Amino acid sequence: MISFDPTEDQQMILETVAEFAKTTLAPRAREFEKAGAVAEDVCRSIQEMSLAMAAIPEDLGGQGLGLLSAVLINEELAYGDPAAPFGMPGFGGYLLAALELGTKEQARELIEPFADPEAHEQFGGIAWSEKKAHPERPGFQTTAKKDGDSWVLDGEKAFIGNVKRAKTFIVFAQVDEAAGWSGLGAFVVNADAVEVTGMHETLGLDCAGFGDIKLAGAKAEARLEGNGDFTNSVIRFWAKYGVLVAARQVGLSRVAFDIAREYCDIRKAFGKPIGHFQAVAFNLADRHMDAEAARELVRRAAWAWDQGKKEKRALSYSAQAVAQAHEVAMRCGNDSVQLHGGAGFMRDVIVEKLMRDAKQIGLAGPTAEQMDQLQAAVELGAELDPALVLPTPEVQAIFT
Amino acid sequence: MIEFELTDKQNMLRETLASLGKDVIRPQTLAWDRQKAVDEQFLRTFYTMQSSLRGPDNPMEDFYEGKKKRDPSKPVQTNRTAVVGCEMLAWADASIMLSLPGPGLGGPPVRASGTSEQKERFFGIFKNMDDELRWGAYGLTEPGAGSDVASIRTSCKKDGDAYILNGRKCYITMGGRASWVVIFATVDPALGRAGQRAFVVEKGTPGFFVGKLEDKMGLRANETAELVLEDCRVPVANLLGGEEKYETKEGFMTAMKTFDATRPMVAAMAVGIGRAAYEYARDFVKENYMLSRPIPRYAAIVERLARMNRNLEAARILVWKSVAMADHHQPNAKEASMGKALAGQAAINACVEAIEICGAHGSLKTDHALLEKWFRDIKVYDIFEGTGQIQRIVISKRLLTDLKSF
Repeated sequence: MISFDPTEDQQMILETVAEFAKTTLAPRAREFEKAGAVAEDVCRSIQEMSLAMAAIPEDLGGQGLGLLSAVLINEELAYGDPAAPFGMPGFGGYLLAALELGTKEQARELIEPFADPEAHEQFGGIAWSEKKAHPERPGFQTTAKKDGDSWVLDGEKAFIGNVKRAKTFIVFAQVDEAAGWSGLGAFVVNADAVEVTGMHETLGLDCAGFGDIKLAGAKAEARLEGNGDFTNSVIRFWAKYGVLVAARQVGLSRVAFDIAREYCDIRKAFGKPIGHFQAVAFNLADRHMDAEAARELVRRAAWAWDQGKKEKRALSYSAQAVAQAHEVAMRCGNDSVQLHGGAGFMRDVIVEKLMRDAKQIGLAGPTAEQMDQLQAAVELGAELDPALVLPTPEVQAIFT
Repeated sequence: MIEFELTDKQNMLRETLASLGKDVIRPQTLAWDRQKAVDEQFLRTFYTMQSSLRGPDNPMEDFYEGKKKRDPSKPVQTNRTAVVGCEMLAWADASIMLSLPGPGLGGPPVRASGTSEQKERFFGIFKNMDDELRWGAYGLTEPGAGSDVASIRTSCKKDGDAYILNGRKCYITMGGRASWVVIFATVDPALGRAGQRAFVVEKGTPGFFVGKLEDKMGLRANETAELVLEDCRVPVANLLGGEEKYETKEGFMTAMKTFDATRPMVAAMAVGIGRAAYEYARDFVKENYMLSRPIPRYAAIVERLARMNRNLEAARILVWKSVAMADHHQPNAKEASMGKALAGQAAINACVEAIEICGAHGSLKTDHALLEKWFRDIKVYDIFEGTGQIQRIVISKRLLTDLKSF
């Protein structure tokens, strides 16, 4: 049956999170931005609510509510401050990567520390991107080589969120240099085995503290080999994480639209509210349609994963949702600034931050362009070529 | 619960129409386009098939005739099922849906405002069409008033037990063949909406005749007629809802209520045509590119395909949302307009892009004739049932505080 209403439980979570976002995140968004981190007391509250664990199965220490509930949570948090979830414990791709790439035992071990309601300082990092493509072959420059029973990693990874806070990283490296993008491996590396080499000043998402690390003979704690085919597991991980990020874009789109709408109600020009001019009102109508449609596409993608629909279908839905949400968020952020006129350009008003965050979020995880390639490959019935459907640095380096 | 799967019945309807569309309808669709009519024999067969399918939850019957008494507090599936049907039928051929025998767009206003005597009388003729197919129609637009419905000029003057109607109606779907047409007229243009009345004018009424049949860009197999009323005497008994109904502004609301129910259907049809074009282009790419070169060598084309598809899906999901609301008996004027606005745009883009992707071939009537036809058919979907601009007026009035009109 086609139905758009959350369950009563979901509705209750939604309202609680919305209230938290409104009273705690929204008023302090600028504070997090300046500090380059989400404040400790906020991380503490978030951790106590266990919100990051929504999509993690119960037998792995999570709440077992499914990806759809996680999407609802992420959307509402982002409505308060779309940057904040990127700087909150457990909200990065780390847990989903552990889930998709690890064995059950490995996943349990990696996820367990995040289940403790006291563990508000528990961060994990995803070390995926590299600043430059390999000059001669496809695949990462960072390599992982077997040394006795363990793996040793060498190279530099870039654009990692919460890099200074992370206690552990999941590092992607080249295992088989001849196999290109099919020759990747994922490794668990402790923070004390890597060196943080630099921090970035970014366009948006300031509170997530992006930086680079260097691995010089870093010993991996474990290798995550994926469930079934490794490349497919990685594609699945990016698709699911992309859906969570897309939910944040929906929250951003909605709040950018709502702020613009309120402004158009009260701001007067030529003797009447500017919203009473068609050029302005139609623009609002367009952004409203955009945000509402993107929201349902994102929910549908999460629903498909939760219901165990065929993987190709879930991948296509995810790709559609992510690409659409990225585009829509940029339009909503941009138009919200535009409708504010000069005031929108000033940092007194939050919309300029929303616009910057929208662009940055579009690069935080798989991009719209890559997701379009993924969707089309699925719909054309082409084999999924990792060089094409993974967010490889060759095409576009991304923030994680 | 949030869910995006069709019911078994809806899936069956979809599959039935898909195979009918592919095997029976599409092979004839170009001939119908040229002869400017959907084959009558086909309509008859389709009608018989539809009648035999008439189970307890037949969407078309329920939608147009509203016969069943239902507990208004209970959600139904009717509208959701209807958009699934509309989309697939339009995917096969856009003109069929508009040419189907039955009350057509005249159904909703009679259903919403008619007295029980009127419903019996006007819907009664469709109960059994074994002898002859019959149609109803909806006459609102005039040469001087389209989107601005409040300023129609067709006049009605009371004279004893009848009203005398004078004026012209244009672009009336199935207007020439209709057994009756819901005609909107005004007692006094100065009164605006409050002065409007809706009549059911029957074929053969003296002073009521068909003007020219339009020659159109697309949807050529569907009849679009001009209707003329010259001192046409329409009995008071045909005033929709009776005289007391018009002591308030409800006359206009009768016209508008129609649209809340029909916009999602029209939007779904647009999605159907857009999907047809998208799928055609997708298969063209499959056949002409995939075997001969790797995707990165045509990545730009692939990206356009992906964009077409997700924009159509975005529109479709809003259409579904608007009908799910209708099925829950919630007001859905804003959502219906949102689906319609997005669907019209997405589908037009899809039809244009599909032609571009298929290259020169796409515009040749000989090679990819269906693409060329869809391109012509789709444009009007951003025009009829309220233009894209009118949809945005409907939407923005519900977004902004105290915005009564522009």
